[in-house]
Amino acid sequence: MTQPISMQPANDAPHALADWHCDGAVAILKLSGHLNAHTLSGLWSKAKDDQRAWLAQSGSGSGSHLTIDCQQVTYLDGAGIAFIIDLEHAQEAAGGQLTLANLDARYQPLIDQYRPIANLFPSADTNHHVHTSLIERVGRGAYDLAEDAKQQTVFIGQIASSIGWAIRHPRQVRWNDFINVAVEAGVAALPIVSLVAFLIGVILAFQSAIGLKQFGAETFVANLVSLSIFRELGPLMTAILLAGRSSAAFAAEIGTMTVNNEVDALVTGGIDPIRFLVLPRMLAGLLVAPILSLFSDLIGVFAASLTMLAYQIPFVTFYEAVLKTIHINDIMSGLTKSLLFGLIIAGVGCLRGMQTGTGAAAVGLSATRAVVSSLILIVMVDGLFAYISYKTGF
Amino acid sequence: MPTDQNNTTESIIEVKDLTVGYGSNIVLQNLSFSVKRGEIFVILGGSGCGKSSLLKNMIGLYDPPCGSVLIEGQNIVTAEGDARQQILTRFGVMYQQGALFGSMNLLENVRLFLEEYTQLNQDEMSLIARCKLDLVGLLPFESFMPSEISGGMQKRAAIARAMALDPDILFLDEPSAGLDPITSAELDQTILSISRNLGITFVVVTHELPSIYTIADRIIMLDKDTKGIIAEGDPRWLREHSDNPQVRKFFNRGADAAHDTNPLQPATIPA
Repeated sequence: MTQPISMQPANDAPHALADWHCDGAVAILKLSGHLNAHTLSGLWSKAKDDQRAWLAQSGSGSGSHLTIDCQQVTYLDGAGIAFIIDLEHAQEAAGGQLTLANLDARYQPLIDQYRPIANLFPSADTNHHVHTSLIERVGRGAYDLAEDAKQQTVFIGQIASSIGWAIRHPRQVRWNDFINVAVEAGVAALPIVSLVAFLIGVILAFQSAIGLKQFGAETFVANLVSLSIFRELGPLMTAILLAGRSSAAFAAEIGTMTVNNEVDALVTGGIDPIRFLVLPRMLAGLLVAPILSLFSDLIGVFAASLTMLAYQIPFVTFYEAVLKTIHINDIMSGLTKSLLFGLIIAGVGCLRGMQTGTGAAAVGLSATRAVVSSLILIVMVDGLFAYISYKTGF
Repeated sequence: MPTDQNNTTESIIEVKDLTVGYGSNIVLQNLSFSVKRGEIFVILGGSGCGKSSLLKNMIGLYDPPCGSVLIEGQNIVTAEGDARQQILTRFGVMYQQGALFGSMNLLENVRLFLEEYTQLNQDEMSLIARCKLDLVGLLPFESFMPSEISGGMQKRAAIARAMALDPDILFLDEPSAGLDPITSAELDQTILSISRNLGITFVVVTHELPSIYTIADRIIMLDKDTKGIIAEGDPRWLREHSDNPQVRKFFNRGADAAHDTNPLQPATIPA
């Protein structure tokens, strides 16, 4: 049986050829040309297939003898050597023998340095990351969840303690950091908050008007939209934007500091990282979330009033309806919620940053976890608040 | 890898009239030197003299204001598209911090370039990658993540990754930086063994004297003030015979320091 296998490129680029001859338990593989990672593609797997078929055909692998003739090999690099080693390993695994004939002496040490070659072929039990059973994974997941809850509880305690400290020692709070963070998280967020609040106002007004027009009740759009925005959508949309923007930024910033041992440097320098890094961000979160929320409410209602012009409802009529509908309680309810959202966004961002492991991937993971955790907590708090409002009328 | 024409006097890299700098800040001017095939060539000099910048110009990361860098006859400065891609496969680079991809284990790190540049199947690429990890003594750690191994191991893994495509040249940026003397010496031995066994040309940027004496066949020394090369040749010869006091000072600093009496130790009183 003779099967030449060739990797012949169209141009004058180096190429390789493998010529397979077998007769019973004896086989010869004549290699020629330039054996590297490029020329071996296709040739390698074909040669392995031929070897496998021959070993199966010859019946007993233990008596098989493969000779690799390298007379025509002009170049052999690491990939070529790996190819020969692969054939040798298959031969050994079948209990057969392999002889390398006419190999240039300069290549022999390159092959010998890998002996014993069995080390290059890992067995299933040498895998560093062993597979765990479902029960073990569930157990580990539950433990991780409990550990995370514990860390969050401890963190809440630390924050409460540092806020108490800040009230007692207001001069020692890093107000410059607080201002920088407040500007970055608050002022810099104004354009995106404006855009989203405006579009939400427009969409809400249009959708409400479509439904209410069927009953000739378009004039009630102002009542519906303003109440929804002040009590719910303004604070919620602002919180979602802040979670995506600032929570991730806090986690990435503190996470990078953790990776670079800057947090360790604070600890060993006797500076509490909670007071140094977390407190200014928490205070900034507490300040900017309600302000942005109120700003978003006003933009949303303004956008809705503009939209209602299309339904021949003038500004004056719209705003009269708004003033009749909205009470101070509605505004305070929304702002109280946004205060809590601000705490969640800043706190979770900082906590995830402090929990960062090592490496660039860990920083990315922390930022992702910060956003996801913030969103989950925001929705949970919002639900809780809706229930409290229903029960208390606040 | 041993080549078809194993000519040790042939230049594999030629740097001609190269100026290194950023904007109006010129760090090095009109540099010309060549690297011979198979040698371990060391670029050294004091901090801030432009060693790493020169290396980044040589590997095509930065565009120099003027001059050329010929790698196996092809100018990396002007090459574009496929021609540039072709040159990039001729060499591997180990960065100062290893620069391993943190989301991949060691085997995946080494296999990455094989996946990008070859049509081999997964098993074949894995075997080649294992061979590279074996060369640097990291085969037992193939499934470890970079964050799970030490700094020295990360650097060795980075060398294995740089060798994935069997390049003719390996560029190493400060391989010994931040390593303890034992790990540093082990890394030097790895470099020597790869150079001797595989015939790969090394271009190493370092200012670690023990490393230089152990691995360097030839060096060039860069100088911040003259913005050029102030010494070229065998480091051991330069240490003893250089006319330039700055060169002698650089090379003898290690020896002087070793012979200096530690001022914190009490002087021994002769009996």
